[in-house]
Amino acid sequence: MKNKTRQKVKQLSRRDFIKTSAAVSLTALGSGAGKIFAAGSDTIRVGLIGCGGRGTGAVQDCVNAAPGVELIAMGDLFQDRLDGSFEELKKKLADKFKVTKDRCFVGFDCHQKVIACDINLVIVAGPPHFRPAHLKSAVETGKHVFMEKPAAVDPVGIRSIIASSELAEKKGLAIVAGTQRRHQAHYIEIVKRIKNGDIGEIVAAQVYWNGGDMLGYWKWYERQPGMSDIQWQCRNWPWFTWLSGDHIVEQHVHNIDIVNWAIGAHPTQCMGMGGRQVRTLGNIYDHFAVEFEYPNGVRVSSMCRQINGCTDRVSERIVGTKGVAYTDSTTGYIEGAKAYKYDGPNPNPYVQEHADLFASIRSGKPLNEGRNVAEGTMGAIMGRMSAYTGRALSWDWAMKASKLDLTPASYESGPAPDTSVAVPGKTQLI
Amino acid sequence: MKTRVAKKLSGLSRRDFIKKSAVVSAAALTSPASRIFAAGSDTIRVGLIGCGGRGTYDTTNCLNSADGVQLVAMGDLLKDRLVSSLANLKKRLGEKIKVTEDKCFVGWDAYKKVVACDDVNLVILTEPPHFRPVHLAAAIEAGKHVFMEKPVAVDPVGVRSVISSSELADQKKLTILAGTQMRRISHLVQGVKSIRDGAIGDILAGQCVRIGDGMLTWGSKERQPAWSDMEWQLRRWLFLTWLSGDFIVEMHVHNLDVMNWAMGAHPVQCMGMGGRQVRTAPEYGDVYDHFAVEYEYPNGVRVEYMGAQIDGCSNRSDERLDGTKGSAYMDFGRTVIKGAKEIEYAWDNADPCLRQHADQIAAIRQGTALNEGRRIAESTLTCIMGRMSAYTGRALSWDWAMKASKLDLTPPKYEFGDLPMPPVAIPGKTQLI
Repeated sequence: MKNKTRQKVKQLSRRDFIKTSAAVSLTALGSGAGKIFAAGSDTIRVGLIGCGGRGTGAVQDCVNAAPGVELIAMGDLFQDRLDGSFEELKKKLADKFKVTKDRCFVGFDCHQKVIACDINLVIVAGPPHFRPAHLKSAVETGKHVFMEKPAAVDPVGIRSIIASSELAEKKGLAIVAGTQRRHQAHYIEIVKRIKNGDIGEIVAAQVYWNGGDMLGYWKWYERQPGMSDIQWQCRNWPWFTWLSGDHIVEQHVHNIDIVNWAIGAHPTQCMGMGGRQVRTLGNIYDHFAVEFEYPNGVRVSSMCRQINGCTDRVSERIVGTKGVAYTDSTTGYIEGAKAYKYDGPNPNPYVQEHADLFASIRSGKPLNEGRNVAEGTMGAIMGRMSAYTGRALSWDWAMKASKLDLTPASYESGPAPDTSVAVPGKTQLI
Repeated sequence: MKTRVAKKLSGLSRRDFIKKSAVVSAAALTSPASRIFAAGSDTIRVGLIGCGGRGTYDTTNCLNSADGVQLVAMGDLLKDRLVSSLANLKKRLGEKIKVTEDKCFVGWDAYKKVVACDDVNLVILTEPPHFRPVHLAAAIEAGKHVFMEKPVAVDPVGVRSVISSSELADQKKLTILAGTQMRRISHLVQGVKSIRDGAIGDILAGQCVRIGDGMLTWGSKERQPAWSDMEWQLRRWLFLTWLSGDFIVEMHVHNLDVMNWAMGAHPVQCMGMGGRQVRTAPEYGDVYDHFAVEYEYPNGVRVEYMGAQIDGCSNRSDERLDGTKGSAYMDFGRTVIKGAKEIEYAWDNADPCLRQHADQIAAIRQGTALNEGRRIAESTLTCIMGRMSAYTGRALSWDWAMKASKLDLTPPKYEFGDLPMPPVAIPGKTQLI
């Protein structure tokens, strides 16, 4: 049994991924994407995969971030989502909207059809579950990528993201992730100062995303006749772990990513807890608390909650031997011997991330944030796995040995994914 | 509205308590308890209030901790608990058990009758935590020394009462020992001393974790037809917040008390979360099965507490502190200080539960001061505020909890009758009171 497990895991190892992808990369390198921006000013033709609120927003930020960017193709699981996004973008993007009906694709294979269009950049904004497959297709066919966070919902997906990121590196393709704090001026300055030693040696940190239940933002769709389980769950993707990763992954990844950035490492192990005390939709929890351990025994405490009527707090706090750094989405400062408060310009990070992406492509030094966002996501996934099972676990085990793969047997038919609510002490660590 | 609240609260203020108790204390000071041990070798006669497992255990340790200690009176809410405890104690301690039938008291006022026994010098308070404040007040007013189990209250109103009683005990030169035996575990004493002496520099952060089993086999799960709601809840007290305070208070006060001890302070504010994800059957009352609370101590130091009672999880029980010059780790077996140099203290294997009683008996006999009332009250409030924050989803401050909270979980009346099962707290809906 153990041997079989090991073998299976081995099949998914990074080495194998690289091997398979190496073959692809040779052909892909000969394709257009890698060369097109050498001149520094060519038009960037964008394809959008995932036409929900975030995808539709990201395209606008993308197109507005630099001149010469056009939307060419769109894909979504659902016709109505695509149609709604189509109409909105047609209005908002005006002459930069070049999508024709024959470049609109619907269904589980829409990403392949979008990628097959004459585009150079793909915005990957489907539900997180699909990210690894979408990224893989995009990179294999030689597209630059902007992808939303989180990068995956399970360790198998994370390994795929890392493999695709390595392939992108080889092919000179850019990957920028929607962890926009990495492109936000006060975050950049505070992290720079932390790395410069302004708070001394880091000994602890606290990260939080305690907010409301998100029902005002993500709707809950009642099931319509004729919908399959999977279609219905995809409609309600935020509320199902196999699709969103649960809110610790989907949302709190932002804050965990900041700690990884500031410390310059990912966690080595974690122990978490959580549950759903209020929420009854889908199968995700409504609160998590996780202790992450980083190299040198540094403990990072994470709390995230999606319950209305509670105390809200979304921020990061990094504690060093000589000071404390505080950041949230609007401010950043350092207390201690080298006290500092950022008061410089703060351009919209949702636009800045695309501007940075284009600049990197056009200068021939493509950004690749694939591994960063994969590791940030992996921290959140480990936290969830620990809370769901009640078991402490290590990064190495999760990264190398965990077989957790939430992909259903088939998207089109077959048994629906297990959507029972996790019970600590009973739910198995896989 | 606000003034009314303020007025009501001032009715409970410490000053008033002291004023009121000053009258009592004048009378009580002439009572036998505080004089009897001047000679240094007199027999100490114990009254036990709360004859459950813990009360029986504590009595055994108390009587075994020194010579000349006897049990002379017992009281419990429930007769069967008293009878079985007495039988057990007689078996274990033989001649030291001097309890006669007329010194066995059962019912809601059993504690009054135990403290009214003139020959009792020391009472052991081990009824469910809900009753501690009232029992302590009665014992101190009657001039008895007190050993009381942790926690010492289940709500802020109770905590205030315990503090007043402790102050009265000081005036009356009575000893109060709290059952937080971790304060007498050798390697923790050494560890905390090193920390307080600066071995890890200034403290910057901490973690306090206790994850254990679900206590699912505790007590009887079969409700007998003759039991009223009240009796059923009393027999399941561990799982009822109004009786136990929930496990963050009932059990994890040990760990958070160690944190307060190491920090040399109590928290200034907290933000917590929690729920019951596994222990959901009705026989588990209204308590949660997991809590996570961030406590902020003076100087912005944040301490993360995580606690759970769920079967099949990774178990842990430890406290950890990070400082400017190193870190400290403490668990039941050892303390490891990583500072300028690495020091490890191992447990000396002495039973802290025995040691604590020996300390109290010695203090009583020598007339030295021993009063742990305020600090166990503060550690209890530390846990209570964490629970309140998790139950309501609201961050809250120590000052508010200590001075302004009106939370009082006392039921409408103490009688063996109807008492609806309290609802499980829902964050964002349960009110912060």
